[in-house]
Amino acid sequence: MNPSSPIAIEFKDVSKVFGNFYANRKINFSIAKGSIHGLIGENGAGKSTAMKVLFGIQPKDEGEILVNGNLVKIKNPIHAMTLGIGMVHQHFMLADSETVLDNIILGREPKNFFGMIQREKAKKELVQICESYGLQFSRWDTKVQDLSVGEQQRAEIIKLLYQKSEVLILDEPTAVLTPQEVKELFVNLRKLKAEGKTIVLISHKLKEVLEFTDSVTVMRRGEVVGTKVTSETNEDELAEMMVGRKVTFTYQGPRKILSNQGAQPKPVLKFNSNKVKLELRPGEILGVAGVQGNGQTELLKVLSNPSTYGEKYFKEKYDYTVNGKEIGDATPFDLRKMGVGLVPEDRLSEALLKQQDMTENFLLGQHHDERYVSHGILGKMINRTKVRTEVEKNIRDFDIRPPYTTVWAGKMSGGNQQKLVMARLLDPKPSILFIAHPTRGVDVGAIEKIHESIMQERNLGKSVILFSSELDELIDLSDRIVVFFDGKIHGEFSRKEFDPWAIGKVMGGA
Amino acid sequence: MKYLLRSSLKSIAGVFLGLSLGLVVCYFAGESPLKVLKVLFQSSFGSGYDFGMTLFYTAPLLLTGLAVAIPFRAGLFNIGGEGQLLVGALGAAAAGVIGKDIHSPIVAILFATALAFLAGGIWGAIPGFLKAKRGSHEVITTIMMNFIAAGMTSYFTLYVIKDPDSSQAETIPLPAIFHLKPFAIFNGAPMGELIFVLIAIVVIIHYWLWNSVRGFELKAVGENEVAAETYGISKQKSWIFAMFLAGGLAGLVGVVEVLGNAHRFKLGFSADYGFVGIAVALLARGNILGIIPSALLFGILQKGSGSLDLETEKVTRDLAYIIQGLIILGVAAEGLYERKRVKRV
Repeated sequence: MNPSSPIAIEFKDVSKVFGNFYANRKINFSIAKGSIHGLIGENGAGKSTAMKVLFGIQPKDEGEILVNGNLVKIKNPIHAMTLGIGMVHQHFMLADSETVLDNIILGREPKNFFGMIQREKAKKELVQICESYGLQFSRWDTKVQDLSVGEQQRAEIIKLLYQKSEVLILDEPTAVLTPQEVKELFVNLRKLKAEGKTIVLISHKLKEVLEFTDSVTVMRRGEVVGTKVTSETNEDELAEMMVGRKVTFTYQGPRKILSNQGAQPKPVLKFNSNKVKLELRPGEILGVAGVQGNGQTELLKVLSNPSTYGEKYFKEKYDYTVNGKEIGDATPFDLRKMGVGLVPEDRLSEALLKQQDMTENFLLGQHHDERYVSHGILGKMINRTKVRTEVEKNIRDFDIRPPYTTVWAGKMSGGNQQKLVMARLLDPKPSILFIAHPTRGVDVGAIEKIHESIMQERNLGKSVILFSSELDELIDLSDRIVVFFDGKIHGEFSRKEFDPWAIGKVMGGA
Repeated sequence: MKYLLRSSLKSIAGVFLGLSLGLVVCYFAGESPLKVLKVLFQSSFGSGYDFGMTLFYTAPLLLTGLAVAIPFRAGLFNIGGEGQLLVGALGAAAAGVIGKDIHSPIVAILFATALAFLAGGIWGAIPGFLKAKRGSHEVITTIMMNFIAAGMTSYFTLYVIKDPDSSQAETIPLPAIFHLKPFAIFNGAPMGELIFVLIAIVVIIHYWLWNSVRGFELKAVGENEVAAETYGISKQKSWIFAMFLAGGLAGLVGVVEVLGNAHRFKLGFSADYGFVGIAVALLARGNILGIIPSALLFGILQKGSGSLDLETEKVTRDLAYIIQGLIILGVAAEGLYERKRVKRV
């Protein structure tokens, strides 16, 4: 960052308080004009709150914000837009069933004398914008729902340019993209930067922040830990700033060599349909990669709950065996009895009862387990004292916080929720584990612990199917990776062949 | 436990708020609020008979309160208590016709109880089944089932088992062996040991919902049906079961009325017990034990409403209904207050 370059945005002692919780406490940092500025931190560190304050979604409680050196009081997003600030939200704000053109010009439609929208005029303007910034886009009349995720994102960015935004805030823009799309995105962002736009990149992926930003501000627990020039820092330093202690990113514990590697061991699980053929060998972690929406979700649902999803997702006949036994349309309970365990894709909507405490959540799915059930005159009763003892033990083992069994699951942080889900998964000692997105929205500290316990299971000879959108995670942990594209397995890699670029290509359909 | 205490404090605050507002209304209507309170108190607790009648009005509300609170656990809103209790009462009345040769009073009463429970239970299970299989919204179907129940019970009363010796719309009286004996201290108010049985039912259901595997499943489905399904709990079964149990309990109102009081099915016997049950459950805020005081309060208002007509000059029984409504508003306003606090933290 050139210290003499003009400042686009400056935060001065800005605080945002919810109740008595400081989401932002006296944060100070500035963003140079014409730079790409990273804003990083764990979940709940306050980076999104800071940007929401800047974009006028939430009013600040203290402090000052300067835009181009002028003190401003941003009232709402529309006001922020008139100040030249635009935001691409993590979940795109486009109307799916309308055309790209209509989405982009929404609210700023060029109109003629009779109030009719002049779409051709708008299109000309957009083509001009794209040319001047070197962006490739031509699908103006396509409905948003028919665009790929990467294209939708580009449409969002073009919308900001159409609104004449000078400062573009991107909230976790790469979460849903393939490595190729990520690269394209950053090429485009660099073009925008060259044209003098300022870009704020909210992220928790250190690698891309290091690769693509000019300077980076690190937040932790609502406070700014520091701002660094990207070229003068490194991954370890940033991670330490984020977490407050030294962190290892890649799993560095033992990786037991599979005793039967080389030979063809008998698979513990087989799934055969005309689209997906899958075998899980004993003691391996099988990674499932793919851009969201390419069939992985359906596979996981069918594997874990064939009674509900079998017919829904696989109309043609499929063959599913666990340890040589036909599964047919078994329920999750039947599978559990056969030693199958599950961590569903979405913690909050599929795995937890938000307004129930840890004990009740630990019971979910285990409430028929003989260890926790006794038979009385009123039928099967739950022995909560026993469950609570077990939960307390798991709280210690997994370092779940806050360490009280009476805490509502919905009030715990993402990382601790996930630890609870992992603890529940491992409690019945399953031999086959389906684990989906174990570290999505989980802070760095908890990621270590979760990876460790997955690896531990593998080293004990358990078999794991690991679904993840984080390619790094899959490469780090898996013994084998299959890649989904368009509902089918499109490629397979053994550990020796792991290469993010090659896998990314297959994810994109190559 | 602390949570329980806090939540019941909120209900009490709601009652206080509703009652105070109601009394302010009387003040402006020109009646002394103190006098109204006194009339309400005396008419419900003034004598053995009065207290017996208060319990007689409380008893059905215990059951219909449960009939709302149990499905609520599973995420369902049962508006069909009224229809379920009508069908249950018809079942109890039919027991007298079907079982006219029974000679043991215990068998007779158990038979009638079982029939009432089963009839109400099936009536409740139908909307549960429709929701499970077809996704029909239970609020709509239970309301419609209320109308069907009203029509069907009239038909049975007027054409099938009508009492030929009566000029009123009522069924053939039950043989004496089916009658429940009231306590003597109630001086003729139709309430006996039954009230203890009903309170025991509430306590058992409270214990059972909290401690049983089935109760856990209902709660899990009500809290997050996707998660429940992911972990192998059938939401369909839970819904049907919850609605069957609810309907059955509402059907037991038939025991209170038919075996305990009228000894026959009289058209229009219910003082909207099924609907007041919704208020009872709301005031109890989902806490099953809370249904006991909540039902008693509404029983008192029900009993007191008649005396308001007779003993005051400016207000009528409608005041009791106004107070009922205000109490519900008070409780609902408390809920709003709570939600606001959660948001801020």
